[in-house]
Amino acid sequence: MIVWLVAASFLWESSFVVAAQETQKAKPSSKPTTQQSPPKQVTPAKGVQGPLEQEAASLKKEEIELAKKLMLEFPDSNVPIVLMGNIQVRHGNTAEGLELWKKALQLNPRQANVYNGMAWVAMSKGQYQEAINHWQKVLQIQPKMSGAHVGIARALMALGKQIEAIGELEEENKISPKSGFSFYLLGHQYLQQKDYDKAKKNYEAAVAVEPNNTNAYYGLYTVYTRLNQPKKAEQFLASFKKLKAEDMKVLKDRNDAYSDLLTVRKGAAETYVTAGRLYLESGRFQDAEALLKRATAIDPNDTECLEWLVTLYQTTNRVMDALQICKKIIKLEPEDPVAYLNMGLFYARLQRTAEAEESFFKAIKLAPEKSDGYRELAKLYLKSDIKLQEAKNLAEKAVKLGPTAVNYMALSRTCDKNGDTAGAISAAKQAVELEPSNPIYQQIYQALQKRK
Amino acid sequence: MQKLKTKNLKLKTNEVAIIALLVILPGVRAHGEIILTDVTKQTGITFVHTDGSSGNRFIMETVTAGLALFDYDNDGDIDIYFVNGAPLKGTPPSRDGPPKNALYRNDGGWKFTDVTEQAGVGDTGYGLGVAVGDYDNDGYQDIYLNNFGLNVLYHNNGDGTFTDVTKQAGVEDSPPHVGAGTCFFDMDKDGDLDLFVSHYLEFSYDKHVTTTTMGIPVYANPRFYKPVPNVLYRNNGDGTFTDVSLESGIGKHAGYGMGTVCADYDNDGDTDIFVANDVSENFLFKNDGKVKFEEVGVETGFAYDGQGDEQGSMGVDCGDYDNDGWLDFYVTSYQHQLATLYRNIEGDALEDVTLATGAGAGTLPHVTWGNSFVDFDNDGDRDIFVACGHLQDNVELYDDTTSYYAQNILLMNTGDGKFIDVSATSGDGMKVKLSSRGAGFDDLDNDGDVDVVILNSRREPTILRNDSPAKGHWLQVCLKGTKTNRDGVGARVKVTAGNLVLVDEVHSGRGYQSHYGSRLYFGLGSRTKVDRIEVRWIGGGVDVFENIAVDQLVTLTEGSSKMGR
Repeated sequence: MIVWLVAASFLWESSFVVAAQETQKAKPSSKPTTQQSPPKQVTPAKGVQGPLEQEAASLKKEEIELAKKLMLEFPDSNVPIVLMGNIQVRHGNTAEGLELWKKALQLNPRQANVYNGMAWVAMSKGQYQEAINHWQKVLQIQPKMSGAHVGIARALMALGKQIEAIGELEEENKISPKSGFSFYLLGHQYLQQKDYDKAKKNYEAAVAVEPNNTNAYYGLYTVYTRLNQPKKAEQFLASFKKLKAEDMKVLKDRNDAYSDLLTVRKGAAETYVTAGRLYLESGRFQDAEALLKRATAIDPNDTECLEWLVTLYQTTNRVMDALQICKKIIKLEPEDPVAYLNMGLFYARLQRTAEAEESFFKAIKLAPEKSDGYRELAKLYLKSDIKLQEAKNLAEKAVKLGPTAVNYMALSRTCDKNGDTAGAISAAKQAVELEPSNPIYQQIYQALQKRK
Repeated sequence: MQKLKTKNLKLKTNEVAIIALLVILPGVRAHGEIILTDVTKQTGITFVHTDGSSGNRFIMETVTAGLALFDYDNDGDIDIYFVNGAPLKGTPPSRDGPPKNALYRNDGGWKFTDVTEQAGVGDTGYGLGVAVGDYDNDGYQDIYLNNFGLNVLYHNNGDGTFTDVTKQAGVEDSPPHVGAGTCFFDMDKDGDLDLFVSHYLEFSYDKHVTTTTMGIPVYANPRFYKPVPNVLYRNNGDGTFTDVSLESGIGKHAGYGMGTVCADYDNDGDTDIFVANDVSENFLFKNDGKVKFEEVGVETGFAYDGQGDEQGSMGVDCGDYDNDGWLDFYVTSYQHQLATLYRNIEGDALEDVTLATGAGAGTLPHVTWGNSFVDFDNDGDRDIFVACGHLQDNVELYDDTTSYYAQNILLMNTGDGKFIDVSATSGDGMKVKLSSRGAGFDDLDNDGDVDVVILNSRREPTILRNDSPAKGHWLQVCLKGTKTNRDGVGARVKVTAGNLVLVDEVHSGRGYQSHYGSRLYFGLGSRTKVDRIEVRWIGGGVDVFENIAVDQLVTLTEGSSKMGR
């Protein structure tokens, strides 16, 4: 089953980024490495739409028509309604977006991320209590959703309810102990309460998690100033000023390089990807392919579209096509270990062992802390019946890095191939214990035990 | 002698009860209703602001303009001067002639007459900021205009006319930059007013940037342009000024200057400079009293909000909201940022207390501009007025959580260090939805309460009469310097009435690119007598006045213990 999410976050331009994502598949983050053109220094003729405006308007129309089509073709699904809501909110029509999201909630009230999106819209309007209500719904559905307590805390802060905000932030820190932002905010709340020890402790925790947390340094500067410890204060002020100067440079560079058209294209591509996934899920592969291809045409630099095409081709056993797309992804993101891993898998299926081996080597080099590369290389050697001892070593390494069922099963097979039946049984047992419902693991384990 | 009028108060039953309670419990503050009534149509004011736009979206169109409230003819009532934009490149000339700044004489009874032509103050430059001050101490207030293009200094001739003396005074402040707020202040305590001129950014038509949001054409943000340093002119005392930006330290700091106010935040007897900067840290130039300024924005907490984040700061004003004797500061800002209240911690630090006090209520969805601390109900604590309106005229096309036209915000001080948003219940004047920029606050009808004038981008202004029903007693103070500057700019006034101690300072140039409040306003609540007024003249001595009746405007002359009425 596919779980759909709506994620909304603020941009300084005050628009929302709303994306639909599938959570059950482990997907690499796909940050486009785009060539952004600086804003024009040309004055357009009055009343005449420039090519950028025309393209943006055309894409918006296209997105809306697509979402309408989806609503007709998938009348029982809430996904097209959420998607239409996303499109409206992204284009600044939050009134209509909210109506659509409410409709989607009538079909399926347990959509935490729809409530999350609604909460952010309320926040942007200064409707703090309404935002809190939405985030409380989020937590009823998904008690450990990261960010919801922070959201409530921020709304409470705006309402002047600082003590209650502290409680929410303490909760967030239990859920997201690696969130520098919530530690920072907690520090800020304690600072407002003039509880300088706790403020200091939380600012320090924020810096420990995020050493470049500019705001936390400002907080520490303020705390030590209030504690009348000027030397310490100066030290943190110096760090703050250094980080702030870097932040401002980044901001300026980002501002100069910002391309609105790329943002518009990215949003439209996301709509097509979501639609493509809907068709993919329902087995309408041709439709899915057409939509995903349109997504890549709109935003050729977006690797997420390409990754979904890989998934489609993998599902429909079009290995050569999948391989071509992997190469495109690598061209866009040469440091993406998952793309190399996938490429290795496709080469392996085509029995192009040398190329598969090279791809897995590259995946391991790029992500030596991940077990997948070691495991798949071990499996390649097993399948090709070469370098069997090395395969066992690789599988052991994979288990060490990730003691998962799939890694234990790979180890079991390499042990077995190297004549180590006891090792094979032991590893298979681990795999079965980790995934008791997997019938293949059960069969292998039982077969190994019979041979004992 | 100042004209004084007292409004006929028709008390309703509940208002009588409130007043009775005040009589029984002296010192207890009452927080009544504030009512601001839109009287624009009856004033005869026909001024309509232009930003000079024609669809090209030049950045200065978004930030024009301020206004000035001052008594240009010394007849005892406050007149209004509106700053205007001008046609920019690509804008066809108007058949009615070029748009001009406009001076309206207050004829009393909420009637105003356009005297621009006869006064000779109809500058046709592209106006942004304005300050008023008697730079030559001749007893008549002069006007300085901070433009995109050459700035202008109008000398008040004292006969209802002005003369453009910019060139001979040496304060043209040559382009290419967009002007912003400006202030007169006596930086060196030598008895004459010096001049601070803020700059927004460097601009020339060939550097114009066009951009879009979600495919919709929008005004580019200031980061696309180069920030420029501000300028400081020393008054030579002979009608001319000398640029001392570099040697004073002011010229070392480039920022996106917007509103400015010059005030003595650390009570050390000299006047410091506050600059609200757009999209970057605000500046606080601390005056060492010897014409050297150190930028201490970060060190004091004024540069950023309490979290260390820069804001899209617009206007800045000061006032003692918590009656602790120290001037606090309020800075308006961009959409999705709360306007920020900085509490002055005894001159050591400016602490962001926005969230704790509720002083940012209602501001988050809006771009906010003119602002001030004003005791609208004369209950003894200062409320906050915030002018609102987005700078993108088409913002609703890509963001319906805000709007170009917006209602302004009124935050009532509850007397316990907190503010509540009373905009919705404060009269039809708060229901006006336009895109406001500069705002000024003065007693236009001399009835003892403070009224409001708002300049709205591309539209007519809004004139709000204070009709608050349950007002407390009041005192208005006008200063007359003899050895120090004539209008007492920079002088600190401390009013003691029973258990209430209020302070204020005379400022020239404040809020969002505007000028107002040459006369100081003190709300006294139920107190029926002022025990003491202490005036600390900038660069001069201290005068004390005792046992003063309430509900009057008094003129306090330097070196005298006598008051004029």
